[in-house]
Amino acid sequence: MKDNSILNIEKLSISFGNNKVIHGISYHLNKNEILGIVGESGSGKSVSSLAILGLLPKQISKINSGNIYYNSKDLVALSSKDFENIRGNKIAMIFQEPMSSLNPSMTCGNQVLEILLHHDTLSKSEAKNEVISLFEKVKLPDPNRVFSAYPHEISGGQKQRVMIAMAISCKPDILIADEPTTALDVTVQKDIISLLKELQLETKMSIIFITHDLGLISEIANRVLVMYQGNIVEQGLVENIFKNPQHNYTKALINSRPSLDTRLKVLPTIKDYLEGTFREEIITEEERKLKQEKLYMHPPLLEVINAEKAYISNSGWFSKPETFKAVDGVSFKLYEGETLGLVGESGCGKSTLGNAILQLDKVTAGEIRYNGIDITKLSKTETRKLRKDIQIIFQDPYSSLNPRIPVGEAIMEPMKVHKLYKSDKERKEAVINILNKVGLSETYFNRYPHEFSGGQRQRIGIARTIALQPKLIVCDESVSALDISVQAQVLNLLNDLKETFKFTYIFISHDLAVVKFMSDQLLVMNQGKVEELDDADTIYNNPKKEYTKKLIHAIPKGL
Amino acid sequence: MSYKSHSLRQLALQKFKKNVWGVFSLFFILFVGFISIFAYALAPDNSMHANQMHLSIHSKKPGFKVQMLTMPNQNINKQSFLSKVFYGEKNTITEIAISDFKVDKDNLFYTEYASDGIIVVSKSIPLQAFPEGNYKSFINEKSFVFGTDKYGRDLLSRVLVGARVSFFIGFVAVFISLLIGIFMGSLAGYFGGKVDAVIMWIINVTWSIPTLLLVIAITLALGKGFWQVFIAVGLTMWVEVARVVRGQIISVKEMQYVTAARALGFNDFRIISKHILPNIMAPVIVISAANFAAAILIESGLSFLGIGAQPPMASWGAMIKDHYNYIILGKPYLAIIPGLCIMSLVMSFMLIGNALRDALDVKT
Repeated sequence: MKDNSILNIEKLSISFGNNKVIHGISYHLNKNEILGIVGESGSGKSVSSLAILGLLPKQISKINSGNIYYNSKDLVALSSKDFENIRGNKIAMIFQEPMSSLNPSMTCGNQVLEILLHHDTLSKSEAKNEVISLFEKVKLPDPNRVFSAYPHEISGGQKQRVMIAMAISCKPDILIADEPTTALDVTVQKDIISLLKELQLETKMSIIFITHDLGLISEIANRVLVMYQGNIVEQGLVENIFKNPQHNYTKALINSRPSLDTRLKVLPTIKDYLEGTFREEIITEEERKLKQEKLYMHPPLLEVINAEKAYISNSGWFSKPETFKAVDGVSFKLYEGETLGLVGESGCGKSTLGNAILQLDKVTAGEIRYNGIDITKLSKTETRKLRKDIQIIFQDPYSSLNPRIPVGEAIMEPMKVHKLYKSDKERKEAVINILNKVGLSETYFNRYPHEFSGGQRQRIGIARTIALQPKLIVCDESVSALDISVQAQVLNLLNDLKETFKFTYIFISHDLAVVKFMSDQLLVMNQGKVEELDDADTIYNNPKKEYTKKLIHAIPKGL
Repeated sequence: MSYKSHSLRQLALQKFKKNVWGVFSLFFILFVGFISIFAYALAPDNSMHANQMHLSIHSKKPGFKVQMLTMPNQNINKQSFLSKVFYGEKNTITEIAISDFKVDKDNLFYTEYASDGIIVVSKSIPLQAFPEGNYKSFINEKSFVFGTDKYGRDLLSRVLVGARVSFFIGFVAVFISLLIGIFMGSLAGYFGGKVDAVIMWIINVTWSIPTLLLVIAITLALGKGFWQVFIAVGLTMWVEVARVVRGQIISVKEMQYVTAARALGFNDFRIISKHILPNIMAPVIVISAANFAAAILIESGLSFLGIGAQPPMASWGAMIKDHYNYIILGKPYLAIIPGLCIMSLVMSFMLIGNALRDALDVKT
């Protein structure tokens, strides 16, 4: 093995200030292979790869011990000048956010050109030809157009392709891809993954592929490292890891993602695995049918009829204003106690529809009936009263809580505004009760949001939402910013609460697997229109439309 | 619930405490604040506006000492103690600087002080004029720590009393600018659209008028004087606050907790006052510190031009104006002392602004 390896990391420890984040990890990267590193946020997977490139922020971080050997040269001891020759030239990197990693004031072509001219001795016209052939290699449509296009003129997937072109422009030996597809839609993700695989076969370079998504890693990598809290808990060939995981953490990681084939009652969490308390319970199709029949006997709670939301953009003084329909003629019925899943790729109008139901945005045409009353025509004060019934759980647990208000007060405030309960004392009791319900202790009452982790904050957001005892809750990508293990906990919590309080959910997500786990009905949206609307399992098992098929096909399956 | 929770404000305070210059400036400002409130209690000359003139000893060097005879038998009006402490002694008593005196039978003969060795004839007052003939308590040696100004007034007392004007103009002007600025800025930022367009138009128009010119126009309209300057400076300074508030609100408005507040059915006033404003206070505090310094400078400038605080009121700017031509006459301290006062107060506000910016982590 030793002679075949190109990169050797030995007992690497890194700390930020006094906080040790990497605890002596060792691994190696072979020539001509794709190594996957998987782990949740804070597990140190990005930090360890930044260390390889010497890109760690110097003031706050320190490599305590260990060595990184690239072709038997120790990168830790390298001067910053020598590093410049390696960075980009021998080891290249692709980042997560294609939107912000390209310079918006330079054309895409020039940005790649710059790198070529910097590292190689090519003439300008030769370099330009080289760039165009690179763009062809990464399968950008119409490379000549992209060459002279500015980053805002091309799509997110195309931007990521430009980034890849940049990274491979100097024919590096090692390519580090740090969550390169996390910000992209599933269908685009699939294309990028297959592109990376093809490029790897062609150029025989080694790729380190970092992601939090186990399903994804199984599709691309040859070998996998599983990282947890700064340690490597398991490493081996993909098949061994997935078929026969040894460590409890790996097992939990594989299983806490909702499966596409079976419907579990409760998702297993990491804690369950570590304590070995999990019992698998599957909801059978008969049970599901029975439950749904009961639901559909009542009149619908919410009815959306031909809803339309148009944005008018004024492009100039003399040109006609252009209208863009974010939501275009959407109709559906939602019954009490049901969960409606809303899926689609980014920009399909699913969030706009959610906001329209919440009356945060007004629809431009159509009706939204709640308990038979058209809520689009309510006055401002009536709308405010309605807010008690229809609530939202947000995507980003970090920005959905006011950083200057202690959480207890934040949960209490809506109760005050809507005059629930008689006195502050009763309200406080109610808040403590709710905190316990979402699995937080009452000692958290006076703490501020920045003292909590992402999963805890999402629980607080949920607590604030259910404080008003709403009937209908819109979950707008409520779990997409969370790690898989936390995601499982929050999904379980949402289902528990639904049982206890008889909530009705509209569950918006781009993640089909999560939506399928949660929903009774499924609504697939594409470009503002309803693509397909039916029972979730039916759609998943027999998709009728081409678009739905594509979407389902693009989900990383795992092994 | 014994757990001690740390709000963002407490964290910022801890950070501020570590900044030596910031804390030093804070203490200096508190010190100046204390002086300006108790100026008359501290000043050697506690007459109103520290206006006790002795023309014979004008523009003397710091540390000058002279014997002073207080004339007896003057009409004394009653004045409460508090009024004395805060507004100064209203009674004007006559004091005469003397170089020599002697007592002969029933009369007290004294020679008035004169510089440059001019011999002055001595005058006399009958001893009966003093209560119980006790003339000794009416003759004291007086020292002038900062010397005397061109009217023979105690410069130290004038500097202390003048701190009031500078300090309070900062407070009043910043207060007025915050009041108008936050109100207008919130409206423009939160509601946007036409409201924003109108308010931005007003802001731009106010912005385009040179500050000093606008202040002159307002003082002309409201009349010359101390309070008019306060208001005028406040009215010119709100634009900066309004622009900062508007910009901040536009970005904070997009935060999910504001959407959350809307979804929870809070009204606009509650959202602005409880959920938006507390989160944008950091840059507003920083700009207020800068405005404080600017207000002091504008006031000194106005007083220097003669449209600020009117004589006999003491103000640092006016003191420089009175004495700037002494700079080349070998007595520069008359202008330099108030100048240094302005400089140190403005600088400590600037330093405190910097320290706050670091502590509150405002990116500007």
